Amino acid sequence: MSIVACLKWVSHPGEPHDERFAGMSPADQSALEFALRQAALLGTGVTAITVGPSGADKVLRDALACGATRAIRIEAPTTAAGTDVATAIADHIADAEWVWCGDYSLDRGAGSVPAFIAAHLGAEQALGVIHVDLEADGVRATRRLDGGRRELLGVRSPAVVSVEGATARLRRAGLQSLRTAADTVIEVVPATTPIHRAEFMVRPYRPRARELPAPAGDSPLDRLRLLTDAAAASAARGEMVTLEPADAAARIVQVLTDWGYLPHG
Amino acid sequence: MNDHIISFQERMDTAEFRVHHQAHIVVDGKVCADCSTRECVIACPANLFVPTSDGGIVFNYEQCFECGTCYIVCNREGAISWHYPEGGHGVVFRRT
Amino acid sequence: MSTPDVDVVVVGAGPAGSCAAIVAARAGLSVVLLERGPFPGSKNMYGGVVYPRILDGLIPNWWEEAPIQRWVTRRSTMLLTDTQALTVDFRSEAWGQPPYNGATAFRPDWDHWLASHAEAAGAQLLTDTTVVGLLRDAGGAVTGVRTDRPDGDLTARVVIACDGVNSFLAKEAGLYEHTDAKHFTLGVKETLALPKEVIDERFAVRERHGVDIEILGGTGKVNGGGFLYTGLDTLAVGVVLKLPKLAAQQQRPEQIIAGLKQHPAIAPLVQGAELKEYSAHLIPEAGLTMMPKMTMPGMLVAGDAAALCLAAGIWLEGVNFAMASGMYAAEAAVEAVQKGDTSATGLAGYQRRLSDTFVLKDHRKLRRAPELVLSDRVQHLYPTMVANVVERMFHVDNPNPKPGVRRILDQERRKAGVRRRDLLRDGWTGFRSFG
Ligand SMILES: Cc1cc2nc3c(=O)[nH]c(=O)nc-3n(C[C@H](O)[C@H](O)[C@H](O)COP(=O)(O)OP(=O)(O)OC[C@H]3O[C@@H](n4cnc5c(N)ncnc54)[C@H](O)[C@@H]3O)c2cc1C
Ligand code: SF4
Ligand code: SF4
Repeated sequence: MSIVACLKWVSHPGEPHDERFAGMSPADQSALEFALRQAALLGTGVTAITVGPSGADKVLRDALACGATRAIRIEAPTTAAGTDVATAIADHIADAEWVWCGDYSLDRGAGSVPAFIAAHLGAEQALGVIHVDLEADGVRATRRLDGGRRELLGVRSPAVVSVEGATARLRRAGLQSLRTAADTVIEVVPATTPIHRAEFMVRPYRPRARELPAPAGDSPLDRLRLLTDAAAASAARGEMVTLEPADAAARIVQVLTDWGYLPHG
Repeated sequence: MNDHIISFQERMDTAEFRVHHQAHIVVDGKVCADCSTRECVIACPANLFVPTSDGGIVFNYEQCFECGTCYIVCNREGAISWHYPEGGHGVVFRRT
Repeated sequence: MSTPDVDVVVVGAGPAGSCAAIVAARAGLSVVLLERGPFPGSKNMYGGVVYPRILDGLIPNWWEEAPIQRWVTRRSTMLLTDTQALTVDFRSEAWGQPPYNGATAFRPDWDHWLASHAEAAGAQLLTDTTVVGLLRDAGGAVTGVRTDRPDGDLTARVVIACDGVNSFLAKEAGLYEHTDAKHFTLGVKETLALPKEVIDERFAVRERHGVDIEILGGTGKVNGGGFLYTGLDTLAVGVVLKLPKLAAQQQRPEQIIAGLKQHPAIAPLVQGAELKEYSAHLIPEAGLTMMPKMTMPGMLVAGDAAALCLAAGIWLEGVNFAMASGMYAAEAAVEAVQKGDTSATGLAGYQRRLSDTFVLKDHRKLRRAPELVLSDRVQHLYPTMVANVVERMFHVDNPNPKPGVRRILDQERRKAGVRRRDLLRDGWTGFRSFG
């Protein structure tokens, strides 16, 4: 089991409880496509793996129809917690050399599963990749950084690579392989550790309303300026600090809380 | 009446379209330039045929119901080349 | 010839295709059901009422599991002029109890459900797959289909084309002589959201009971008709429009719906309802006049693909005709495969079944109806005439005494510019069709 594609069965944002609209997210489709291309390059097969209920077989059959050679479903409820999903997957693919994931799924996943898998496997990671070059001895991956900058990573196995949605267009399954995939028996395995339901769902990035002190200007116009003027408003923002990682994290959380992006307490 | 009038774009946004990167309907502007009857402009329920100021027709395939009206009402040979989109793409109905 | 991949390929998982696949698979044939949409029903739209009696034999007690919105217990036929409405309203409690009569349902639900029975019967459903052409042997017999997938040919002993109103398969096989715009109507509809209690109150129904209103007139200058159906917490309001007439005037389809929704008889019913979905689809309207050959060596054509939809003014039934013709096509295909003769002769059981049942009997009986109902007189002259006659009958004009109905009728006929001869002839045609 050297190349693995982790695929999640996600519901359509508009029809959350309707299996007719559920399937593979564009990011997962890209991940599968890279896995298949890499397998062809290295002359091996692709194992498609998903964590979910029986409906999730659909994404595995789609993967088989596109050329995956093996399909495993780890039995779990739809709303499994990301850390448990990562543990369950990692336990089943301990000998994987390349693990391909979608960056984050349509149903607002946080994109944390690939990182957890990499941690479990002790593998290298290249997360949120927007461009991939497959090479015989590894992968060259491009990551998006802040401010329009790019980071170029040379990745060696074992590694976990998570790709963004539109990085590759998944090939169209052939008719005969589609027919065969429809009849293939999917390997269903229990999770090695208990799988919990997600305690909370990560929500879209949407800062909550927050209280602002009344502006101090003398005239109504001045006060209005202070509230709406971009230059005045942003002047107070942003500071450069040098801290140890743990302190830095705590500081970031503090600032986000002060600014109203995170709830108090 | 308190019903608000919605724009045509809002109307079309009530339907889902899984757009394929290739157009499934291609309209030959050269043929349309000579057409004075313009049946497609009135009849297309998705309003995808838009006359331009220079007497041509702009056609957008993305929000198409795949109904077939345009190729049936158009009387000009070769103006419309019509196919279904690749399987799995195009309009997806829900409560119809 | 090498062995075909499967016994039967059914193209299109609409009501015709799924019923065909159920019958063929239950008879033990290997069946592949191909659908271009991401799931069965995703491409399909109609007015909103199914009459599933024909399923009694296929899915016993279908009403216990079918995804229906409401049982139609009230059926109205409405005649509209700009300012008047004449409604014939019928209701029956019997239609609200097993075995029921008609029901409102959404096609993405209904077709998906029917296709699940095809799968349960053993047919292999392949979605996201568009058939792009036929495979033929040297003699012209159909031997399979070509899909838009890589490695996409699929050979079969019999192909059943249930690919709907545009049927490119029937056209490719040369079964249609030509495509004539005047044989088609465009249906456009709005699915509107309204709370269930409001619908119950406005339409005077309760529980799962619902209303089917067929509308004559109300489509402006375009010959056609309208409809208004109740879902559980939705309304479907729409119009069907004769294509050549639509293209030859200035009002767009959505404007014609808007006009209908503003009619004084309709506006109070739809007021405040929010647009949930706008959709459109063609109807093969001309019945027998346009029907293609439905049998050829290796292939049968069923449902809208064979123009079997019955569209005759106060009737707009296609799903039941599609389900029945799909079943009959599959029965004939089973016979042919079992006999090892899939030539036109071997498949002749299809035409025989169509002729012996309601499918073609209703079409023969109503063969003049579509043309009559969509004629200029019925569309533009009679509604005003009839509405005026009724208005004068019920208009109290004291101290003048009530005039005789025959005199009113004659006056209104002349005022509307209808010749007595035409009226008698249309009346006779109508009587023979509908009577
Ligand atoms: C506006 C309107 C109102 C109507 N109202 C009613 C009503 O109230 N009651 C009623 O009974 N009937 C009504 N009808 C008629 C009814 O919808 C049709 O008669 C019926 O759907 C025909 O069923 P079918 O299976 O033949 O075709 P369809 O339902 O059209 O199914 C054809 C299927 O084939 C698939 N397909 C097509 N081409 C291909 C291809 N090349 N490859 C793969 N798949 C393909 C399509 O995606 C579709 O799923 C109405 C129709 C319209 C348009
Ligand atoms: S598509 Fe046909 S009807 Fe429309 S403008 Fe072109 S030629 Fe005329
Ligand atoms: S198929 Fe129908 S919706 Fe699409 S462009 Fe033609 S008329 Fe418009």
